[in-house]
Amino acid sequence: MSWLVSPKGKRYTVAQMRWVTNHEEPLVRTVAVSRIYRRGVDEIRALDRVSLEIPAGHFVAFMGPSGSGKSTLMNLLAGLDRPSSGEVWVAGQRLDILDEDELAAWRARHVGLIFQFFNLIPVLSARDNVALPLLLTHLDKRERSRRADIALRIVGLQDRASHYPRALSGGEQQRVAIARALVTDPDLIVADEPTGDLDARNAETILSLLRRLRSDFGKTIIMVTHDPRALRFVDMAFHLDKGTLLEGEEAARAHEAIVVAASGGVVGHVLP
Amino acid sequence: MLPFRYSVRNLWSRPLRTTMTVMVVALVVVASSLFLGLISSLKRTLVSTGHPLNLVVLRKGSDNDGASALSQAAYQAIRFYDGIARNAADEPLVSPELVVQPFFWTRDGGRENVLVRGVEPVALEVHDQVEIVAGRMFRPSSAEAIVGRSLVGRYEGATLGSALKFGRGQWTVVGIFEAGGSSFESEVWVDVRELASDAKRPLPYSGIRLRANSEAELAALQQRIEADPRYALQAERETDYYAKQSESANSLYVLVVAIAVFSGIGAGFGAANTMYAAVQSRVAEIGTLRALGFSRPSILVAFQLEALFMALLGFAVGAVASLLLAASLGQWLRGIGFGAATFTTNVVQLEIGMSDLAASLVLTLVIGLLAGLGPAARAARMPPIEALRRG
Repeated sequence: MSWLVSPKGKRYTVAQMRWVTNHEEPLVRTVAVSRIYRRGVDEIRALDRVSLEIPAGHFVAFMGPSGSGKSTLMNLLAGLDRPSSGEVWVAGQRLDILDEDELAAWRARHVGLIFQFFNLIPVLSARDNVALPLLLTHLDKRERSRRADIALRIVGLQDRASHYPRALSGGEQQRVAIARALVTDPDLIVADEPTGDLDARNAETILSLLRRLRSDFGKTIIMVTHDPRALRFVDMAFHLDKGTLLEGEEAARAHEAIVVAASGGVVGHVLP
Repeated sequence: MLPFRYSVRNLWSRPLRTTMTVMVVALVVVASSLFLGLISSLKRTLVSTGHPLNLVVLRKGSDNDGASALSQAAYQAIRFYDGIARNAADEPLVSPELVVQPFFWTRDGGRENVLVRGVEPVALEVHDQVEIVAGRMFRPSSAEAIVGRSLVGRYEGATLGSALKFGRGQWTVVGIFEAGGSSFESEVWVDVRELASDAKRPLPYSGIRLRANSEAELAALQQRIEADPRYALQAERETDYYAKQSESANSLYVLVVAIAVFSGIGAGFGAANTMYAAVQSRVAEIGTLRALGFSRPSILVAFQLEALFMALLGFAVGAVASLLLAASLGQWLRGIGFGAATFTTNVVQLEIGMSDLAASLVLTLVIGLLAGLGPAARAARMPPIEALRRG
């Protein structure tokens, strides 16, 4: 049984978590999910029989050194990749049985994606970038741009709507990307190192914005990160190493190490 | 589907590359439009020369005026056949003609064969598209000539009132004629008897042109002329005669198509190269679009459209350039000298028609489509995660 560690040091087992969320069906559930890459005769086990559950309306972090499998796990949950074995359930849909085109259609409706390098389309204005995922819906042009404007207002960039990405700062670009992830009102928002390319001040802005998406809009957010600051904003952190989800004491030690790093080497609480 | 402006704006996001590729496509369009325009102008000139009710009578076995000879007796016999149209003075519309092809000096010092046609005044009625637009008709036996509009200013002495030198004599230009853009406009007309004595021909005529009353009588006349045992003659409808002359232009088509295809392939490689570079530089972007849920076909279409827009831009630039070029060539060269099957020079007014531009457009679209295919397919095949990682 894997352990989930809250940033305040509280530990839950998955079973307890189920109880905590009042036997509600979790939004995300994996069952013994593995992802194996083949390079010639070599097999690389990027993810090894990981089972976890994430209840709806939570902001969680996947943490771990590079190569720990956290990005692989995130890709599986976002429907960007398919597992070699095991089951992946998100919002009531089993993803591991969908083919690539079905996954693309599913992503368009159910997932909002945020990337480390923002990944805005340079030739489109901020509003057009935000409205881009809406092109895959049946909404008309007016409704698309109305919703794009609402999303831009939520991230505080309504007055930058007609700017092109190159005219925006890194922090602003990431906020446009968050608006783009938000605009389809997805079940799940997935962020891959969203603060990795930002300075401390902008990183804080982005993290608190993501936190607000959870608290104000009830969004479920999964974030892959190295950033120890992130712990102050998330509801819980999953620690991975060498393709497995750390449990119990191991998870607690990994957690402590990050907390120590964040507080400048002093062991203690990092409460806001 | 991705919006059009995504494809269009991406073209402008790399202005130098796009401009260079557009220019290459434009050059292909200019080359193919100019060549096609030249051929169709030549054909138009030749084909418009004939009249559907006119017959060309030549010695059996000759393919053109220049290679034929006819006696006075043959002319007299044919002149009174039934079924020939007559003018107001009740004279039959039968025009005996002698054709010679002397060298003329062009004003920039070159030498070209020009068709000189000896005729009688009735020729103006048989070839009723010929119309004197300046001066007057020549008077017989006065060493006078009228010249076609296309020759004016192109050759030494080919202006109203000047002296034209060819053969043994000197001819005063007393009139200028037009003929609806046909190849008559590239001819000099003089008195047929004067020309025969100047050229010292044993037989006075090279052929006869006559106007039939009707379609039915034309066929009958044709049969009767060819069946007459006294003279070995052949009669051919004038429009067919000129259509045959224009067949030499058809062999040019092969050349033009080859030029178009090869230069098109070159431009296609250029455009494909540009598109491959575009795909390469946008790997992360393609990954992002795929991650957001855009399907493979929509990526394919976006890149294919980008290649097509680029080719169409090349077509637009090329079409404007070739129309301007054709117009200014007309100004500077006063038409283009073109050797037809008869070896005489036909001065063709280069005109690029809609059909020439349409052919260039088709070529351009093929270039754009083929050039876009490979890069667009590569873009569409990229798995999203790998594209995101590589970008």
